[in-house]
Amino acid sequence: MPDPRRRKSRRGRSAGWLFISPWLLGLLVLFIFPFFASLYWSFCRYDLLSSPEWIGTEHYQRIAAEIWNGDGFGNALWNTLYYAALSVPLSIITAVLLAVMLSWRIRGQAIFRTLFFLPSIIPLVASSILWLWLLDPQDGLVNHVLGWFGAPPQLWFQGTHEAAHPGTMLEFGSKDALVLMSTWGVGNFMLIYLAALGDVPPQLYEAAALDGAGRGRRFWHVTLPMLSPLILFNLVLGLIKSFQAFTQVYLVSEGTGEPVGSTLLLSLHLFLAAFQDLEMGYTSAMAWLLFIVLFIATILLFRSSRHWVHYRTSLGG
Amino acid sequence: MKLTRPPRWGILLLLATTLLFSIPLIWMVLSSLKPAGQLVENPYSLLPESWQWSNYSEALDSMPYLVYLANSLLLCTGTVIGSVLSCSLVAYGFARLRWRGRRLLFGILIATMLLPWHVTMIPRFLLFRELGWYNHLTALIAPTFLGDAFFIFLLRQFFLSIPEELSEAARLDGLGEWGIFWKIILPLSKPALATVALFQFIATWNDFGGPLLYLNDPDRFPLAYGLEQFVSSYSDQTHLLMAAAVLFTLPVIVLFLFTQRTFLRGISTAGLKQ
Amino acid sequence: MQKSLRTWFMMALPLVLAGSLATLAWITRPQSGIPEGREEVVFWHFWGGSDRAVVEDIVDRFNHSQEQYHVRAVAMPGNNLDMKMFLAVTGGDPPDLINQDDPIVADWAHRGALMPLEEIATEEEVRQLEDWLFPAARELGSYQGRLYGLCNGLDIRALYYNRAIIRERTGQPAPERLESIEQLDELATACVLREEGRLTSLGYLPDPRRLWAWGVVFGGRFTDESGKVTCDDPEIVQALQWMVRYRERWGADTLAAFRQGDQSLPGKTFPLLAGRYAIVMDGQWRVRDIPADRSGEFGVWPLPPPAGRTRQAEGWVNGNLFLVPRGCRTPRGAWEFMKFWSGFGGKEAEAARTCSQGGWIPPSQQVVDQPQFQQYLRENPLFARFVQLAAGDQVPTPVIPGARMYYREVNQAAERALYTDNPADAGSLLEAAAHKVQQHLDRIGGRREEP
Repeated sequence: MPDPRRRKSRRGRSAGWLFISPWLLGLLVLFIFPFFASLYWSFCRYDLLSSPEWIGTEHYQRIAAEIWNGDGFGNALWNTLYYAALSVPLSIITAVLLAVMLSWRIRGQAIFRTLFFLPSIIPLVASSILWLWLLDPQDGLVNHVLGWFGAPPQLWFQGTHEAAHPGTMLEFGSKDALVLMSTWGVGNFMLIYLAALGDVPPQLYEAAALDGAGRGRRFWHVTLPMLSPLILFNLVLGLIKSFQAFTQVYLVSEGTGEPVGSTLLLSLHLFLAAFQDLEMGYTSAMAWLLFIVLFIATILLFRSSRHWVHYRTSLGG
Repeated sequence: MKLTRPPRWGILLLLATTLLFSIPLIWMVLSSLKPAGQLVENPYSLLPESWQWSNYSEALDSMPYLVYLANSLLLCTGTVIGSVLSCSLVAYGFARLRWRGRRLLFGILIATMLLPWHVTMIPRFLLFRELGWYNHLTALIAPTFLGDAFFIFLLRQFFLSIPEELSEAARLDGLGEWGIFWKIILPLSKPALATVALFQFIATWNDFGGPLLYLNDPDRFPLAYGLEQFVSSYSDQTHLLMAAAVLFTLPVIVLFLFTQRTFLRGISTAGLKQ
Repeated sequence: MQKSLRTWFMMALPLVLAGSLATLAWITRPQSGIPEGREEVVFWHFWGGSDRAVVEDIVDRFNHSQEQYHVRAVAMPGNNLDMKMFLAVTGGDPPDLINQDDPIVADWAHRGALMPLEEIATEEEVRQLEDWLFPAARELGSYQGRLYGLCNGLDIRALYYNRAIIRERTGQPAPERLESIEQLDELATACVLREEGRLTSLGYLPDPRRLWAWGVVFGGRFTDESGKVTCDDPEIVQALQWMVRYRERWGADTLAAFRQGDQSLPGKTFPLLAGRYAIVMDGQWRVRDIPADRSGEFGVWPLPPPAGRTRQAEGWVNGNLFLVPRGCRTPRGAWEFMKFWSGFGGKEAEAARTCSQGGWIPPSQQVVDQPQFQQYLRENPLFARFVQLAAGDQVPTPVIPGARMYYREVNQAAERALYTDNPADAGSLLEAAAHKVQQHLDRIGGRREEP
């Protein structure tokens, strides 16, 4: 009689592979093949109508030149970095603060929670249309309200300004509008933080209160560290998502990256380079660089996390 | 979960923030009911001068809404079936079976979530062209039958929480893995499957990039893409745009309101992994 | 087991509902069936609104006039029509005919994505066609000596002027023709209107995107015979410098503000009608925006060259072109439809009717000469002025690969010159643009055209 344990593990093995076979097929066909194909094409000139033609590192040289000059890939990279640098932290801060507010004992929290969450499931196509209207320089509600506070009308989607740029401080242009849009849709992460907040052991708060910590100090020294693993998770995912933002970027610029290339984020630039300029090789090179950049950024984030992320020990949690 | 005592100014802050967050949606609905002239001359007035429900019928007339809707529903049905089936299968393989290489492959699964789609966009396009799927809804439905990393992850977490004893008992009874999967695990996983179905439905409903890339016959456009086409032709008729946007958003909101619990649970499970 | 079955049912119900709704809507959708025995010709265009009715009428007439083909017109609105087209060609399922007005003929032909007309029609027919077309129409559709696109309508630009405003603000009636560009400048300054110290109306403001027109009127050419990019031609630089003088006079902010205001006029009104200017350069399609009761108020001047120069060219022309993607299913059907629409091959009378309906400038003198069209011209004197210009030396955007990028780069250079204070001088801006575009051309050049 064969050893029942061995029989089970053998059965487990073949069954295991069988069960995951759909994903394996997908891995091969939708990841591994594209992975290497695009690597190969990044060294070729290719327009999908004729065969690829090897040209060596020409595309990479061109990209380097564009980074140096600040146009093409360089422009798109800057736009994306600007967007990510603003939207990711803002989103995290907003989501955490909203979650904290939702964790208070106030009546009707379910309604507030729904209202905060709804914007995040609204289709990006619809919300792009909505925000184009809200941020219209002449007739938009936002400029009107800003006017109550004495602020001059902002150009938003029609302007190339960058509010964080020293030259045009607090003049809100197209990318700032995109950042605003993304802050509105933090609902799903807010819920994750909310659930995590519920897991924080109350003893920690009590101990801090006993030590004389006020509300703010408790937040900074207890809540935030407890949330830090999630914040790391949010940072990484947020970074990747912001680098891949496509639908809203396409919608607000009608697929052109106007005005004057200010909304040409990387994903739109790649898409246009591929399907408007027919440069599959150049696009593949950019995609690869993008991948490497994100990979390094993710690793750096994880490395740095050792210093500020506090993982739960067995402290009753 | 235990709620904490709010600060004195807490209620005020919460109300103010809620207002801020809700205004865009409210404005969208209000604008959709205003007459076109009012939006031009008096765009900041709060209420419509007259409630133009006709904006909705005009918007519906100006685009083949039913065709778009049909395509959207068709896509959603197909992708939901694809995702639920394939992801549960794969998740079972990762969660309930022991085999060599499981950990490595799962790691690869997680890694694929970090790969930007730009790297695979062109090869995929080429592949689908060679398969003859260009300009067919198949190009958008078929990939879901190959699993999705996030859903597989979600379902695996859930499957892991089902006691091993149940499987053991079934095995001793002579049930094969397939039988255990169908008769024991799946029935117990209805909440998680519902979550996957829901998320996939909404993702497909909202999907714009897919149709943009793979469809060129207006008879096959889903709503998300059809709406963008509508926007290009009617870009200066804000009242119609708002009405169309509301028509597109409403089903999702209604769906959410009916399935809130599933939603919220799904998101919490997703977040609390480590 | 009973309970389990019920919960499965509850879960499957929404899915089944959605699926049946979808199938129902799918089955009951308005069918665009093809009559028996005909081949389908898929035709992409971008006309919307009232133009779409005209298109559908033409398609109907064609479908009724013969029994071999059935044209299905698909309205593809929005920008990026060429991108969708490209996706279709590379995806392997392109339409049979596409109407396009962007300068992409060279790009497409260069990559083998278009079928030259000689592969669809006989050589003899193509040669006849080339003689039949206006020179501008022929040039628009030709790349490296072969005809790829059949023009179905020309877009000509000229100067619209408001007689009433000119008389009011200069005290004299508007001249019948402009002798020189300096005369334009004089009128531009004289017709300025200030209300409470603010400028509310300018006589004329050059649009940076129209450097393409002024550049050739000044005598420059944007490419030379070998296809090299020459937007830094001295004459073109002079044209830009002339435009810059407007910025120097009024300031970049004023220019930008006026431009902004023009774009946000309600319902995209023609700025000339709104009284913002006395003179505006625009195309023949604007004639339809002028209401009948006001048409006597306006006139049309051809673009004047600088004093002392004989005009080198009439102006800058675009047009609508019919193109046939490679890999389409029914190219001959596309050819028959093209001929029907444009009027080539005996269908001039039909085409005259089409062009009068749509308010389009025909691609051939033979259509213009048709009685029906002549009647239309008599009824629309402003429009007739444009048609007169169509036979002259109209220069299209160079038909070179990367034309669209070229178009963008020149426009951006001109915009920078006009809308920013203290930019680099006109010459260096254009030189930089030329360099960049030439680099791009060199990079994609030298590749085979044959598929």
